[in-house]
Amino acid sequence: MSHQEQPDHRPEGGFSTPVGSRRTFFHWVTVAAAAVVGAGLAVPLLGSLISPAFMRRQRAWVDVGPVDELPAGRPTQLDHVTTVRDGWLEATSHKAVWAVKQPQGEVTVFSPICTHLGCGYRWDDAEKKFLCPCHGSSFDVNGQVLGGPAPRPLDRLPAKVEGGRLLVMYQDFKSGLPQSVEL
Amino acid sequence: MPSRLYDWLDSRLNLKSVQRTLLDEPIPGGASWIYVFGSVTLFLFVLQAATGMFLALYYAPTPDHAYDSVRFIETEITFGWFVRGLHHWGASSMVVAIGLHMLQTFLYGAYKKPREVMWMVGVVLFLVVMTFAFTGYLLPWDQTAYWATQIGINMVGTVPLIGDFLSRVLRGGEMLGALTLSRFFAIHVLFLPAILIGGIALHLFVLRRVGPAGPWTDDRASLGSETFAPRQVYMDAVVIAAVFLLVATLAFSIPLPLTDKANPSDTSFVPVPEWYFLFYYELLKYVHGPLEPLATWVLPLCVILIMLWWPFIDRNPVRNPIRRPVALGSGLFFLFVVFGLLGISLKNLYAVPRTDPAVAQGRAIYAQLGCAGCHRIHGEGGAVGPDLSTIGDTRPDRAWHLKHFRDPQSVSPGSFMPKFPLTDQQLNDLTSYMLSLKRAT
Ligand code: FES
Repeated sequence: MSHQEQPDHRPEGGFSTPVGSRRTFFHWVTVAAAAVVGAGLAVPLLGSLISPAFMRRQRAWVDVGPVDELPAGRPTQLDHVTTVRDGWLEATSHKAVWAVKQPQGEVTVFSPICTHLGCGYRWDDAEKKFLCPCHGSSFDVNGQVLGGPAPRPLDRLPAKVEGGRLLVMYQDFKSGLPQSVEL
Repeated sequence: MPSRLYDWLDSRLNLKSVQRTLLDEPIPGGASWIYVFGSVTLFLFVLQAATGMFLALYYAPTPDHAYDSVRFIETEITFGWFVRGLHHWGASSMVVAIGLHMLQTFLYGAYKKPREVMWMVGVVLFLVVMTFAFTGYLLPWDQTAYWATQIGINMVGTVPLIGDFLSRVLRGGEMLGALTLSRFFAIHVLFLPAILIGGIALHLFVLRRVGPAGPWTDDRASLGSETFAPRQVYMDAVVIAAVFLLVATLAFSIPLPLTDKANPSDTSFVPVPEWYFLFYYELLKYVHGPLEPLATWVLPLCVILIMLWWPFIDRNPVRNPIRRPVALGSGLFFLFVVFGLLGISLKNLYAVPRTDPAVAQGRAIYAQLGCAGCHRIHGEGGAVGPDLSTIGDTRPDRAWHLKHFRDPQSVSPGSFMPKFPLTDQQLNDLTSYMLSLKRAT
C-alpha cells in the first residue's frame, strides 16, 4: 500500500483524484471484483431456479397382487397404489389398472385411461369388450379398437411377474394420438 | 459498442450528469479502507434479498409444509443447500458489518452535527435488521426455530400492561402456530424489506446532503479531497468481493442441519438463539424474580433510546476520539458488557456437550428396536451380545458399522444378530450413535 501514500495526484479543483494508469488499474480491479461476485451468485441462484426442470419422476414397480388369483382371459381391475412425490409433498396415488392373464400365463396390463380423450373405461363381461362411456369407443380383450373414435389400441403398462406376484409400473400417455406417447 | 450504446442513451437520458453525481462525490481527506463498511452492509443486504428471493421459490410458510420444504431445498434442489447457506451466513455477516460500520462512525465522531439524522436513521436500520434476524429464525419450523421464537415472544409478554396484548399480536393469537408462521414470513419477506429499502434511501439521501465526515482532524481546511470513484469504489469492491468469498466458503463448508420438526408438546427442548442474540440470552440468566422485567424490556429499551438519541446526548463538538474520553469510555463499557456476556455464554454452551441430532435419533432407534435386550451400555441391557459402552473407541470405522447393520454375518461370521430393515437414514443415525459411545475423556 506504500504507493498510496504518494499518489500521482493531479490537483484539479482541489481534488486529488488519481488519473492515468492508476485510474485504469482501479477501474479494472473493480470490474474483476464485480465479476467474481456476479458469477459466484449467478451460478448457484440460477442453478437452484432451473433445478426442478431436470427432476425426473422416478417410477417404481408396484406389487398389485398374486398372479394365481387372476382368471385367465378375463380382464380384472387391480389397485395400483404408489407414493408420489410432488415437490416436498408426498401423497399416495390410487390407480386401478386392467390386467389380463393370457392362456400361456403371461399378463398384459392396460392403462385405465381411454386412448381417445382420457375417460375411464370398463370391461363388459356380457359383450366381452372394453367399453368407454364417454364417446362410445370399444376395445377387445387385447386392447385393439373395435369401434368408436379411439385413435389407437389401449396403452400397455410395463408389467412383470416375480415370485408369483404381479409388478406393474404406472405411466401416463398422451390421449388422442395414433401412437402411444408417454407423458 | 458498449460505449456507443452508452453515448446514445446519454444523448436521450442525459446520463453523464447522473454518473457525475453518483461517482464524483468528494471525500474529504481522500478514500480509505476504513470507510468500506457501509458499502459492505449494503452489498450484504442485496445478497440477502437475492438469495431470499430464490429460497422463496421453494419455501412454504405453513406448519404443515415449512419444515419439509426447507428440507427439500436442502436435499433435492441443486445448490439449494448453498443458497440457504449464503442466506444464513449472509445474515450473520450483515450483523457484523453493521457493527463495524457503527463502530467506525462512533470512533470518528461522524454522528455529530450535521449528521445526527443519518445516525438516527442508521440505528433504526440496525433495529430493522435485528427484526429480520428474529423473524427469519422461525421460518424453518424446526425445534430450535420454534422454541427460540417462543422464548422471544414470551419476553415481550413481560412488558407491563401491554405485554400480553403485544405478544398476542406477534403470535397472531394465543398460540405459536400457523398464524405466527405466516405473519413472520410476511413480515420477513414483504414488510421489512420495504421498510429497510426506504430507510436505506433516507440514510443515503442524508449522506448526499451533508457529505461524508472524513477524518477527525480539526484543521479541515488543510484536507485535500478525492472523488468517490475510482479509488473508494475500488476499495469497496475489493472488500465486498472478499466478504462474498468468505460467506461462500462458510456456506460451502459448514452444513446447517435442521433439528427435528417443531413439536409444540416437547417442552424438554432447549433452544439456543443465534450468536448475535446470545449476550442477551446470557443476561436473562442473571436477573430473576421481580427484577426480571428490568432485563427483558427496561434495559433493552433504555439502550435503544440512548443509541437513538446519542448525537444529542454527546454534545461535545470534538471528533478526535482521544479528546472524547467520556464518550469513548461509555462506548468501550457497552462493548465490554456485550462481548463479556457473549463470551460467557459461548463458554457455557461449549462446556455442555451438545449432542448431534443424528446421535439422538440413533439412540431413539436403539431403544425402539430393543437392542438393549442383548447389548449392554454402561451397565444397562442384556449380556447376550457384545457390550457397546466404548464401541466408538474399539470400532471407530463408520463403514464397518453400516455394513454390519445391513448384514451382521457379512463382517462378523457366526454372529446371530438379526438383520433389521432400516432405511439409510436410520442406518446412519444408528451408526452415529454407536460412534458416539466412547470412554469419557
Ligand atoms: S374418451 Fe373414451 S371414447 Fe372418448
